[in-house]
Amino acid sequence: MITDVTIPEPQAPLPGAGVNSSQGLLQWISSVDHKQIGILYLLMSLFYLLVGGALALLMRVQLMAPENQFLGPEAYNQLFTMHGTTMIFFVLTPAILGFSVYLTPLMIGANEMAFPRLNAFSFWIAFFGGLLLYFSFLAGGAPNAGWFNYAPLNQMQYSSQPGIDYYCIGLLLAGIGTVGTGANLIVTIISLRSHGFKYRYLPIFVWMVFINGFLILAAFPSLNAALVMLLIDRQLDGHFFNTASGGSALLWQHLFWLFGHPEVYIVVLPPFGIISEVIQVYSRKPIFGYPFVVGSGFAIALLAFGVWVHHMFATGMGNTMNSFFAASSMLIGIPTGVKIFNWLGTMWGGSIRFTTAMLFATSFLVEFTIGGLSGISFAIVPIDWQLTDTYYVVAHLHYVFLGGSLFGLLSGLFYWFPKMTGRMLNEKLGRWFFWLFVIGFNLTFFMQHILGVIGMPRRVYTFPNLPGFGLLNLISSLGAFLMGVSMLVFLYLLYEALRRGKRASDNPWDGYTFEWLTTSPPQLKNFDTLPPVFSFRPLHDLNHPEIGDHKKSTDDKYGT
Amino acid sequence: MESKLMMKLVVGSEAIFFLALMMGFVYFAYFPGFDPKSLALLDLTKTGAFTVLLLASSFTFWRAEISHRNGQIGSLKGWLAATVGLGVIFLFGQGMEYNHLLVNQLVVSKGTFATGFFTLTGFHGLHVFIGLIMLAVVLYLTFLGDFDRPQSSVISAVGIYWHFVDIVWVIVFTLVYILPHVVNMK
Amino acid sequence: MLLSLLIPSIFSSASSEASEITTLTLYFIIASVGILLTVIGLLIYVSVKFRGKPGDPEPRQFTGNKVVEGVMITIPTLLVGGFFYLTLSTMQTVLPPADGLKPEVVIRGHQFWWEAQYAGKNAVVANEIHLPVGRRILMHIEAADVIHDWWVPELGAKMDAIPGRTNHLWVTIRKPGVYEGACSEFCGAQHAWMRIRVVAQPEAEYQQWVRERQQNAVTPTTASAVAGAAFFNRETCGTCHRIRGTVANGNVGPDLTHFASRQTMLSGMMPNTRENLRRWLQDPQAVKPGAKMPRFIYSKDSINVLVDYLTTLK
Repeated sequence: MITDVTIPEPQAPLPGAGVNSSQGLLQWISSVDHKQIGILYLLMSLFYLLVGGALALLMRVQLMAPENQFLGPEAYNQLFTMHGTTMIFFVLTPAILGFSVYLTPLMIGANEMAFPRLNAFSFWIAFFGGLLLYFSFLAGGAPNAGWFNYAPLNQMQYSSQPGIDYYCIGLLLAGIGTVGTGANLIVTIISLRSHGFKYRYLPIFVWMVFINGFLILAAFPSLNAALVMLLIDRQLDGHFFNTASGGSALLWQHLFWLFGHPEVYIVVLPPFGIISEVIQVYSRKPIFGYPFVVGSGFAIALLAFGVWVHHMFATGMGNTMNSFFAASSMLIGIPTGVKIFNWLGTMWGGSIRFTTAMLFATSFLVEFTIGGLSGISFAIVPIDWQLTDTYYVVAHLHYVFLGGSLFGLLSGLFYWFPKMTGRMLNEKLGRWFFWLFVIGFNLTFFMQHILGVIGMPRRVYTFPNLPGFGLLNLISSLGAFLMGVSMLVFLYLLYEALRRGKRASDNPWDGYTFEWLTTSPPQLKNFDTLPPVFSFRPLHDLNHPEIGDHKKSTDDKYGT
Repeated sequence: MESKLMMKLVVGSEAIFFLALMMGFVYFAYFPGFDPKSLALLDLTKTGAFTVLLLASSFTFWRAEISHRNGQIGSLKGWLAATVGLGVIFLFGQGMEYNHLLVNQLVVSKGTFATGFFTLTGFHGLHVFIGLIMLAVVLYLTFLGDFDRPQSSVISAVGIYWHFVDIVWVIVFTLVYILPHVVNMK
Repeated sequence: MLLSLLIPSIFSSASSEASEITTLTLYFIIASVGILLTVIGLLIYVSVKFRGKPGDPEPRQFTGNKVVEGVMITIPTLLVGGFFYLTLSTMQTVLPPADGLKPEVVIRGHQFWWEAQYAGKNAVVANEIHLPVGRRILMHIEAADVIHDWWVPELGAKMDAIPGRTNHLWVTIRKPGVYEGACSEFCGAQHAWMRIRVVAQPEAEYQQWVRERQQNAVTPTTASAVAGAAFFNRETCGTCHRIRGTVANGNVGPDLTHFASRQTMLSGMMPNTRENLRRWLQDPQAVKPGAKMPRFIYSKDSINVLVDYLTTLK
């Protein structure tokens, strides 16, 4: 008989473990426990989601009618800049880090991250980065040059208020935190897997977090370099991006997109992992084509660094350059398609339970396919020449960031909420939230594809009363309000579950991975002992020994 | 073990950061051509001497690691102190050079060459400074007896960082001080 | 999508370049709708067929199939190959290099208006740009301050105007008409009101129009317009604006030599009427906040004569 693996005690007591858990807020602030930090990340993300969403609603009010006077140009330009910056750096990034930090040690059978204090530091520095960014509203005006902040519009002579300086410092701090967490996750996965936990047994989610760590380490330095160079321009009168005195406008774009495009994959790879876990468990079947799902993650990560110029096809760089980046950008479609069809393959022949988490995962497949396909149209250079910088881009990126990333994250939230809090969410309200959100989302953003096609540029605070513009924008705004309403349902849903939700059992969904083995919510120390690992579904092997993967030969574990 | 792995990842990430700054410098300094006046202000021999000292600090650190592995705490302390000393001298040299440039009106806002120069060498100097803090902490801990046992990986982790900073300087020195003369001669 | 067939869009192409892109876009739409419908169809089938009921046993635990994976990789790869070929050929047709060729017109983006300089001719206009029909012309795209982007959907590709660079565009307009466009790279406060109107005319009409633009401004005749012209010069409006044939010789703001011949003012923000002009001169920052024209405090009478003068500049 095989015996359980004992999880070794940490060499030194976990720092912060001495603070009594009844000390409330102080305990959260001083915590270095990966679960508490994960939850802090998620709370930060939720807070900024509401703030960034409110900014978006104000923008949609302004765009409800042609030549509307609700907001002036300056206010609108600050709002859309803050909306984009907030959603990417302070909603999606902390949300994926939150899930990564919470789940990775649990899934690999560890009791902590490799560097618990670095983990806490990384969270708090990102948190204060966000506060600093928002402080700009009080300091004389928020940044107003868009989330990608093109030169030379980001220079002092075009934006003399301090907003862009706060943008630089806020993003630098958040970026340092993100790099810290990314490296921490890699070290954790390499060195803290429980005994016998081979790489080929890692859950897909952990694989995606692992790949993501390298993406973060390689992408963020470009942004940090661009930000310090911009700060030197603005504060010390440097000349990197100041075209009036020999600087280059395109250097900023190269550095920014060398970070910016991988960033898209940074916020979408972990949701891919979440979707993989959710679809497996609710289809009651192992993932279809494990090596292909993992391998396509690697392919996406590698290609991610060779595609940035597709954001710059309209800058007149010449057809040779354009064709190279067109090829690499189109190629990314292949591994992405492989993932979509493997998820469909996972559902095929299963016994599917359509919980709220599964509904989000299912609709993810459709919404993300739309976002992915509209993305391919930017790789086809001549189509990009027509549609880049229009509302078609706005539609595309929201299908990727919401339809892809956020749907994945919500799916994960509904899936792991019982584990994190020990309470079940109300499925009926969950369905209400799901349908309101999905309908609102598609109303808002599908229309924007058409707006781009009929000639509406992005980032305009108002638009002339041309045929079609008024009606489509009105529909888009109504959709946005519907999403706003759905967020109220969502907040009530969370509140109700925390106040009087049903107690969750340790493994309410018959999950496959180690986090479902411990209590709900887990104790400060996650595990004392663990069963040995023989497949990528160790808990399924334990709970269904008669059909467990551990009986299969190595080849059969990964498909025929 | 974990700290060494961590340091390798951090150094990898930092390398990309410096690569971006170097590309910025090359783009702005090499293509418009060098201003001979700015270039003449850079003292090749003096900075060359300080470069040799910084490289020597890599050697002393390497000796320190060996002493640690062999459990020779006395010589560990000596080599560490020498490394810190050499690093401080290098920073002092950089400070003198900056002072010389500022006195001669070569400031960040003087043109794209100056902006690139101060950014690149300034960030390198910042990294030397951070390295010195780490080394000072290690030296302090050595005196407290933390490294009496040879198992600790902290010293080799700091070593990875310190050698990295030296390698970056070799490239910066080549790009900023040596190659421009070669390019200008043609 | 249907809506976009009835109103001006990238599909109602009016130039050879635009219709090349439209054809490619249609191929793309067919392929991507095909893929999307495959995904949705499979998803509906799977959701209906494999919906589990409470008490169902564990389904068969299969983990993958190499043949299926092969198909998943092969079909998209073939599609990518095909579209890459189409991309290369269309790219070469729409925007071949323009090595050293003389442009018909140089377009320069300013915060927040467009300047068009007809190359080799003494004609400079703003925002309403006339182009000939039936001949392939080369346009140079430049920027005076920050990055702007020239885009007229019915005429095809857009092109960034980047300070310090000269980009180019080819366009072969096939139908006379007025085509609406807009600046498509965020360029500051009034990016929204940096619209473009291209008036495409048959060759003879176009040449006639350019000849007219080359003439100096008309000399004012009425007493009030003469007073307006004097006021214009006294208040140093000419530091920023040019009125050819007078001392006003600035090149910061739009050229006003033939101002009154434009249909719209403030880059397509409003019709060019006396009333709008009066409001603008009274307080530019109230009409178009963030525009570069500062507010001068003028008396009502001065503004009236100024309006009288500017409206004579046909």
